Amino acid sequence: MKRSAAEIVREYGPFAGVEAAHGVTYDGTHVWFASGDRLNAVDPDSGKIDRSIDVAAHAGTAFDGRHLFQIAEDRIQKIDAATGKVLSTIPAPGGGGDSGLAWAEGSLWVGQYRERKIHQVDPGTGRVLRTIESKRFVTGVTWVDGELWHGTWEGEESDLRRIDPETGKVLEQLDLPAGTMVSGLESDGGDRLFCGGGSRGNVRAVRRPRRG
Amino acid sequence: MESLITAAARALEAGDPLGALNRVALRNDAPSLALRGIAMAQLGDLPKAKTLLRSAARAFGPREAVARARCVVAEAEIALVSRDLSWPAKTLAAARATLGQHGDLANAAHAGHIEARRLLLIGRLDEAERTLAELVTCPLPPASQVVRELVRAGIAIRRLTTKDARAALGRAERAARQAGIAALTAEVESTRLVLDTPAARLIARGEARPLRLEEVEELAASGALVVDTFHNAVRRRITVVPLGTRPVLFALARILAQAWPADVSREALITGAFQARHVDESHRARLRVEIGRLRAKLRPLAAISATRQGFALAPRRTQEVFVLARPVEEKHATVLAFLSDGEPWSSSALALALGSSARTVQRALDELARANKVQSFGQGRARRWMTPPVPGFPTGLLLPGPLLKT
Repeated sequence: MKRSAAEIVREYGPFAGVEAAHGVTYDGTHVWFASGDRLNAVDPDSGKIDRSIDVAAHAGTAFDGRHLFQIAEDRIQKIDAATGKVLSTIPAPGGGGDSGLAWAEGSLWVGQYRERKIHQVDPGTGRVLRTIESKRFVTGVTWVDGELWHGTWEGEESDLRRIDPETGKVLEQLDLPAGTMVSGLESDGGDRLFCGGGSRGNVRAVRRPRRG
Repeated sequence: MESLITAAARALEAGDPLGALNRVALRNDAPSLALRGIAMAQLGDLPKAKTLLRSAARAFGPREAVARARCVVAEAEIALVSRDLSWPAKTLAAARATLGQHGDLANAAHAGHIEARRLLLIGRLDEAERTLAELVTCPLPPASQVVRELVRAGIAIRRLTTKDARAALGRAERAARQAGIAALTAEVESTRLVLDTPAARLIARGEARPLRLEEVEELAASGALVVDTFHNAVRRRITVVPLGTRPVLFALARILAQAWPADVSREALITGAFQARHVDESHRARLRVEIGRLRAKLRPLAAISATRQGFALAPRRTQEVFVLARPVEEKHATVLAFLSDGEPWSSSALALALGSSARTVQRALDELARANKVQSFGQGRARRWMTPPVPGFPTGLLLPGPLLKT
């Protein structure tokens, strides 16, 4: 396993009226983050919130190209990114103990925080297709270039870890400075990972190491 | 962090404990237990809240030290509001240290405020002040600022420095408005009432008038000879003759001071100080002895001269003699003073606060209950005593938002 300190390249926020940042996703131009009662779209260049959608937003956020998915209480809402309308909901696999959310390969991937699990879920029905075990409390989840990354927060320590999606084995770990929280996690498809800062109410960009 | 926990915590912060319970009522994981505990506390079921918070502290893993410490702080606040003063202060201090070490300064300060309120309540003012001074200064949430200023005001009121008390109350009022919590604004108002209602009676030349706390403070600074029934002492500025352990001597001093500049007959002194129904020769002999003792004690402040029918007080270096008495004098006034904060007290907590034995306090409470001046509820060790609510300090449970954050 490769282990190194996370390189924080930029911090967004804190933002006025935002008490906490939960889920984080990226739609190609904007970084979206969930802040309790709304979703906020941040321009990664200016660092300003360009737009927001009033919707219950208590944990993970994901984007499938057209829709935003947002965990609220014990369900996952499917939201039309253009209009902000909630189109449908499915039950969340953790029954409310859910944290992170990601979209990949036609499935939703849901972190179940204290159970230290990641579920692959059918986005149409909410049926659990398979479950990956982690060693730490799971916060945000994301897929990039076939790599499965998730954030952790346990014992006042956070890191980002790339795990083997078959075995759950940790392949690479980026440690955040002590007391720095990771809630949501999303990749921009390139070398940036966006992390929600939990109760700090901010979002950080961390450099994703290039392999080989 | 977790979806439902976030939703429930948001409901609690918005003042909707039932909404919070709805979301986590059936869950028994550690954060849910903690949230349920805080919600139950806000709904007034303190015993249930205590049990839940204790289970939550146990359920958090060994690595979740901060979450555990927050549960301990919440339980300590519940203990304070229940007037369970025997709750282990060391446990709170350890939790406070843990929070401080992990950079949770707002909750560390909240823990410090609870400790200071406890010390203030049992009259350990210096320690309360030290505890406040120790707290790391950080931008506190407005609700915490209110508590800090109320503790400062409470210390100043007990110390009789009314200017400091009013300044602290002014700051508390501003912070309470900022916090927008009605209960806190009411708390500040009721503390202000303590400053604005008569705190004592001044008896001079046989006449009595009410005194506000400011006037009591002025009196302490004036050059007058004061017979102080609050502290059972005779004093002039910084010269103090404590008579707390000599109730007969204090009673004689008071009778003489109330009559000054007139003298007092031997009969009046004997019936007043010895609680004797018939005056006989042995009482007269005892009076001579006690007056001799009082004369020796009071030498720096006053002389006691014999007159034809009895004795008269002759103050030194002043032409003013006052008696400072409680607004309403009655038996067990000190017990009532503690109960007048409107909170339920156990008899053992009262004994601790008064520094007297549990048996003495129990006797006083039974007598007061027969006179309908106090009421009790609960049985056995859970029995609590209170007076009909009177504005006082401090009350209230805060369990602020930051306690919930993960």
